Amino acid sequence: MGIKLADWLDERVGWREVWRAIFLRNIPKVNWFYTLGSATLFLALNQAITGILLTVYYVPTPDHAYDSVQYITTQVTAGWLIRGLHHWGASAMVVVVVLHMLRVIFYGAYKFPREVTWMTGVVLLLVVIGFGFTGYLLPWDQKAFWATTVGTRIVGTPPIIGDYLLRILRGGTDLSAVTLARFYGAHIWALPATLALLIGVHLYLVIKIGISAVPKKGE
Amino acid sequence: MKENKEVSRRDFMKLAISAIGGVIGMAYAIPAIGYIVGPALKKDQGQGWIRLGSTGKVETSIPTLFKVKIQRQTGWITTEEEVSVYVLTENVRDYIAMSNVCTHLGCRIRWITEQNKFFCPCHNGIFDKEGNVVSGPPPRPLDRYKVKVENDQLFILGG
Repeated sequence: MGIKLADWLDERVGWREVWRAIFLRNIPKVNWFYTLGSATLFLALNQAITGILLTVYYVPTPDHAYDSVQYITTQVTAGWLIRGLHHWGASAMVVVVVLHMLRVIFYGAYKFPREVTWMTGVVLLLVVIGFGFTGYLLPWDQKAFWATTVGTRIVGTPPIIGDYLLRILRGGTDLSAVTLARFYGAHIWALPATLALLIGVHLYLVIKIGISAVPKKGE
Repeated sequence: MKENKEVSRRDFMKLAISAIGGVIGMAYAIPAIGYIVGPALKKDQGQGWIRLGSTGKVETSIPTLFKVKIQRQTGWITTEEEVSVYVLTENVRDYIAMSNVCTHLGCRIRWITEQNKFFCPCHNGIFDKEGNVVSGPPPRPLDRYKVKVENDQLFILGG
């Protein structure tokens, strides 16, 4: 029955070819450092699942942000777990993404013909940092407020345009409801959309070109 | 795997990966279901006895409207809600307290003294002064609250 259905579907959409290309492709003999990319993907999925769940109760306004986060953590069934996974997953994500990048650097895996994979990876790293920066404000507690006050100042440092950039980022002179709302918008719409698109390209290239072997001595 | 040589390394890995994947999937799915359904399963704490006011305000044989404000905890917000209750007495000893919520679809009913009936504006539900259905779509009489009188003060038991 299951096999019949799979055959029926394969005849129409050709999924077996896609399956083979993704999961049954040939790879060189590599080591555990090569799993860091998959680990990143797993963490990204974790962030997506728990993040979607958090939006069920979280409300991004100064009136409700802190209280709704407290409600999630202390009142909702398994809320502590979902929030905890998102919180720690975020930190783990940054760590693993950086380790993944270091592996690519040390093994020279960014070289021809994988330059575009590397470039999308660089943008992905920036997107992950963007996630971390915008997500840090959302609990709207003292730490979030002051960390973002200080963090946003950085864009205010260039001469002449600095002040404008800072105002644009904050949506005004100071941190406010406007800042919280736009950080939330970036965190749940703009950044995830960019991330999904770039992961698509990144993985397509990994599969299309194949992964690099561990470089030999003298290479 | 000695006793069963037909399980290849590839098949074993397939099985192991599906099993681990299944466990991870469940580890997300079960808390996620609890997380979404949780607040719906929480019992309303109830309001206890709510004081409506003095029994002296109730006119004999005519349902009298009492409005009281109650605090209700919804999620992380405490809201003030107004509860409207019609109180009827025939003998100034026994009181009945009726909810003003129509039993059809939840609109608020209103007492019209000239016609001696409750009217619901939504679908023409009509109730008599004791809350029994006279005509229209309502499936049952108006809901009643438990009532007690202490020192000439009326109390209802809030749900």
